[in-house]
Amino acid sequence: MTVADPERLGRPIPAAADRFAAPAPSGPFPPTPEMLAEPVPPDLAAAQEDRLRKAWKAPSGWRYWSAVNNSEVGVWYTLTCLAFMLGAGVLALLMRVQLAVPENGFLSADRYNQFFTMHGSAMMFLFAVPMFEAVSILLLPALLGARDLPFPRLSAFGYWCFLIGGVFVLGSVFFDAAPNSGWFMYPPVSLQQEGVGPDIWLLGLSFIEVASIAAAVELIVGTLKCRPPGMRVNLMPLYAWYVMVVGGMILFAFPPLIAGDFLYELQSGFDWPFFDPERGGDPLLWQHLFWIFGHPEVYIIFLPSIALTAMIVPTFARRPIVGYSWIVLSAVGTGFLSFGLWVHHMFTTGLPALSLGFFSAASEAVVIPTGVQLFAFVATLLAGRARMGLPMLWIAGALAIFTAGGLTGVMVAIAPFDWQAHDTYFVVAHLHYTLFGGFVFPVIAGAVYFYPVVTGRMLSERLGRWAFWLIFAGFNIAFLPMHLTGLIGMPRRVFTYPAEMGWGGLNMVSTLASFVIAAGFAVLVWDLLRAAWVGPRTSRNPWNAGTLEFVPDPDENWGTRSIPYVHTRYPAWEQEAFVERVDSGRFYLPDAPEGLRETLVTSVIDARPLQVLRVPGPSWITHVAALFTAGAFILPVYHLYWAAGVSSALAILTVCVWLYLSARSHPEAETKDAGLGLRLPLYVSGPSSVGWWAMWITMLGDATAFASLVFGVFFYWTARPDFPPEGAAMASGTLAVAALVALALSWALTLTARVVNARGRPWTATLCLAVAPLLAVAGGAALLGSVWLPDLDPTSHVYPAILWAIVIWTLVHVGGGIIMQLFCLVGLLAGDFTPRHDAPLWNITLFWHFLALTVLVTVAVVAGLPRLL
Amino acid sequence: MTARRHSAGGEQEFAEERASLVRITFGPLIWAMHFLLSYAGAAVFCAKFPHASEHLDLLVWGIGLATLVALAGIAWQGQRSFHQWRKGNEDSLIEEDADGSSEDRHQFLGHAALLLAVISAVGVIYTALPAFLTATCR
Repeated sequence: MTVADPERLGRPIPAAADRFAAPAPSGPFPPTPEMLAEPVPPDLAAAQEDRLRKAWKAPSGWRYWSAVNNSEVGVWYTLTCLAFMLGAGVLALLMRVQLAVPENGFLSADRYNQFFTMHGSAMMFLFAVPMFEAVSILLLPALLGARDLPFPRLSAFGYWCFLIGGVFVLGSVFFDAAPNSGWFMYPPVSLQQEGVGPDIWLLGLSFIEVASIAAAVELIVGTLKCRPPGMRVNLMPLYAWYVMVVGGMILFAFPPLIAGDFLYELQSGFDWPFFDPERGGDPLLWQHLFWIFGHPEVYIIFLPSIALTAMIVPTFARRPIVGYSWIVLSAVGTGFLSFGLWVHHMFTTGLPALSLGFFSAASEAVVIPTGVQLFAFVATLLAGRARMGLPMLWIAGALAIFTAGGLTGVMVAIAPFDWQAHDTYFVVAHLHYTLFGGFVFPVIAGAVYFYPVVTGRMLSERLGRWAFWLIFAGFNIAFLPMHLTGLIGMPRRVFTYPAEMGWGGLNMVSTLASFVIAAGFAVLVWDLLRAAWVGPRTSRNPWNAGTLEFVPDPDENWGTRSIPYVHTRYPAWEQEAFVERVDSGRFYLPDAPEGLRETLVTSVIDARPLQVLRVPGPSWITHVAALFTAGAFILPVYHLYWAAGVSSALAILTVCVWLYLSARSHPEAETKDAGLGLRLPLYVSGPSSVGWWAMWITMLGDATAFASLVFGVFFYWTARPDFPPEGAAMASGTLAVAALVALALSWALTLTARVVNARGRPWTATLCLAVAPLLAVAGGAALLGSVWLPDLDPTSHVYPAILWAIVIWTLVHVGGGIIMQLFCLVGLLAGDFTPRHDAPLWNITLFWHFLALTVLVTVAVVAGLPRLL
Repeated sequence: MTARRHSAGGEQEFAEERASLVRITFGPLIWAMHFLLSYAGAAVFCAKFPHASEHLDLLVWGIGLATLVALAGIAWQGQRSFHQWRKGNEDSLIEEDADGSSEDRHQFLGHAALLLAVISAVGVIYTALPAFLTATCR
């Protein structure tokens, strides 16, 4: 059998003039047992190891910080998240001290408000979501038997953005400048805060969200395209399924918040009345956009932890997971249903009872898939020969705590109960039970379990048990009474309370226990840091797991010694002489003769090998790009708009240089021997390339943000009787249509450039790309004119404001489209992009497909819709 | 295999592979459409339809009809997935260990799609309940 599926061989192939296409993979696949049984000569293996070691060597000295490899970036990322978590935890302790006794004066009201705002924001945005990304960047390549993720520099860029943004946001508490209106920043109260607090929240966190989306793109493409040969979708480790689902959820959940932030910034910076009811706005739109993000976010946090559980449970049950497809069902099902729950955070906002009913129903329905996975774990433990171990202890604690949190969740999902419990400590208890059980405990279990993979050393069993019992007991003693504190009436977010309310005793218990939790974390963190140097060395697979992540040698930087052929779910248990063959370089890419970093790209469903991908090595350009991007987001906080503009221009320039340098470096040969007789192409473009997939996935997220703005128009239309207001001016129809025509032509020329270039006529393509940006500029100008010339004043009413917002959004994207056209024009003129090497043309055309759609919707909504309403 | 054939296969493969992964989400997508239609439909009906409160039966029947259509779509998807899962595997209801064959992957996607269809049907019925139990514009 060859690389192609047998059924495809008989099918007519559509005629395409592809003289310049990548050569096909050739050679036998899958490898026969005889091929795999053939030993590798020891001296050859040693020489290969030398070359691999050299290619993957981490930079040393101060250059260490220029590393981009997942094993370095993943560790920094994880430790940074841990540090932010500890910081946010200290804020929680200070709040508990303030609440210990009635009428305490330890913290002022404003300070207390800043602390609870930062505690929530940091735990969510600086710990929970990035921790998933950090752990995935660290472990996913190992789980998939890959050497690295497809875009290591993107991970590094995302990390540096996260670090700068996180320090900026969390650092604001030291300057008494932090936001103070809660982690969801509800207007109008948040608009009343003086100073830079709200802007720090909006811009700082938007910046981090962008980094999160970058990581999500990286992880989705990694899971889809960088699996080891033979690992079909039904063989993927369950963690990879969850990464895919959670990555997808990030793509659809974060953009509404970015759109919300965009509107919010226009309101707070330029007085556009999106949330001001006196001028037709509505603060509820912010709540909708925030919770369309915020509720899926809960599952974005919870699912990866469940994924860790799904990796740990089979190892300790000593058998494959029971109900693999049932767990996939719950991952995908929860992913979908979690988008139908957001209004259950808004039960008390006075929405119609029927709307509440829909969301209450969906909130109850999501229990089913969530429960299915827990039952699958219990079934696995029952069906296997379960043993105990430190990771399993944490998992057991997680299941107990999460189940309790889930049960109170079922209670508050019922609207009438929620009306009673809303904004009381009952909710505080509920959300901490779900987050500790659904996130903190599983993550600690994962840290204990995967510690040997990363460091080659073991954590202390004794200290681990101490940490577990301190945190478990402390947690329950602190938070179980809060249910009662809430039911007897104590509201959230009050900095103190009078003694006669009778809440003092319960609060004192919670405060004392919170220090027990802190003691547990101190033990845990001490052990995590200590054991990296003095912990006992372990064998490679101390828990005897069956999956791939324990196969690589933690002392080597190359990831996996050779990329295995996988045809079972637990290869280390179920495939013959598996580890030995990986180690001896019997599988794919056992060598780096060119001294370059390489990994395999495979097909999405069946993981047939498609390409040898060269991945970039250490670089400083990621730092430069991150620094300028940070300037673009952080300088506007201090109203330094010109400096911010310069910083964004420099950021764009840096990214263009970065991309151009990598786009112009073509491999020295067409194909390469990937091992086991397989020859694979080195350069591919279009849908076979990882870059094209990354663009596709990014644009899905981008389109979601745009859809959220359009949702805003429909929201105002249904929520407000005066939208659009009587006799309001309309956008110019003529100019809007002219913009549509010019931008459609620009899109057509871009597409033509890609097609004719691939047919061997790069000069025609160059001509197309020289004209296309001019048309795009004209189209953009016409679009701007369509709202500018009729004198639609965005500060007067929400109707012109939302039209302006949509137009600005589209114009920014037109700007991006023009830059991309010029990027390719330069590449064609310089001869760096050729008919054979045309990946950038494919990618920008894909961008323009989405842009054309955006322009069409913009023109329809801005110029067409108001004429219909 | 020639160079030409592979590249033509590139796009084709993308289409096929995407289709078969996307197919397992049909059930949940129908749920999402139904959910959105019910929620948006009720909101628009109550805000814009003249004398909405007196014509609530229109809304209830509209949601009822949408529910029937959604359930029919899910049933069709479920039945198709059931056959994809059970083909060549009629005797045993127990999930076999994966063996790495294309057939196995094919059945797995069928099973996952079937389970998702079931959960989507439950979700659709849940969503419809409030319309029948608490039909009001208040």
